[in-house]
Amino acid sequence: MRNIFLIILFVFLIPTQPAMASAEREINIYKNIRCLVCQGQSLNDSNSDFAIDLKKVIKKKIINKESDREIYKYLTERYGDWILFAPPLKKNTLLLWALPLLFALIGGIFILRKGLIFDQKQ
Amino acid sequence: MKKQFKISLLVFVTVIFSVIFYYSLKANNKNNPNIMLNKPLPVIELTSLVNTNLKQELPLINRDKYYLINIWSSWCVPCREEHPILMKLKDKIKIYGINYKDKETNATSFLNELGNPFYFTGSDKNGSVSIEIGAYGIPETYVVNSQGLIIFKHVGPLNKKIYLRISEIIK
Repeated sequence: MRNIFLIILFVFLIPTQPAMASAEREINIYKNIRCLVCQGQSLNDSNSDFAIDLKKVIKKKIINKESDREIYKYLTERYGDWILFAPPLKKNTLLLWALPLLFALIGGIFILRKGLIFDQKQ
Repeated sequence: MKKQFKISLLVFVTVIFSVIFYYSLKANNKNNPNIMLNKPLPVIELTSLVNTNLKQELPLINRDKYYLINIWSSWCVPCREEHPILMKLKDKIKIYGINYKDKETNATSFLNELGNPFYFTGSDKNGSVSIEIGAYGIPETYVVNSQGLIIFKHVGPLNKKIYLRISEIIK
């Protein structure tokens, strides 16, 4: 009886897994895309005509098994990097990506040194 | 000595950040509608507004020296506003119209009322053709050369100044 239950569960669960992953992926892409005709909204939050049309285009690309990278490339070629909330790592965005790491590094060294001085004093 | 070093470091970091912030504030990090400028027009297939069997593929290579693409709709007020300019331009350049998310009857009565400046009018019922060429609003106008490069793009209704500019480009 237990085995039958497990088999039924298996049969019902397996096909839904890729569908769920695909829906999640779709929403993650929408969240990273700026609605160009709205004020600070992502595609996921917007119901404007532009957002609805763009969502359809992206959905079609996902169905056609295009990768996230290909989809973002398609969009940035037409609308520039501004359409992405997370800008890609490029020469002109290097500072944007490197500064937080640099700060973490400086902060880490500072804390370590303070800790060492504190230990030596004790 | 150590204190002097700390003060120098603080001043150095402050100056660096001030420079970064100053240039970041000055930089134009808004949407740039001209991103497609001087790039090849993506391949699109237009289906005629009045006859679904009639198709037109763009870009046309080595056919006309220049041609114009205009995205319009009968429900778009600025499109009505720019229409006289398109009527003036049609004698100078072939105009391919992309009728954006419109009803065929409304679009044809719009053209019957105001005149038809288009050499070919394609229908973009779901907005995908407009997205393919990087449009995000209507009206939008593109001038494409014989090599298929977008050499001019205007977002918004055409006006006298833009008319003169297009005339100058295609001279």
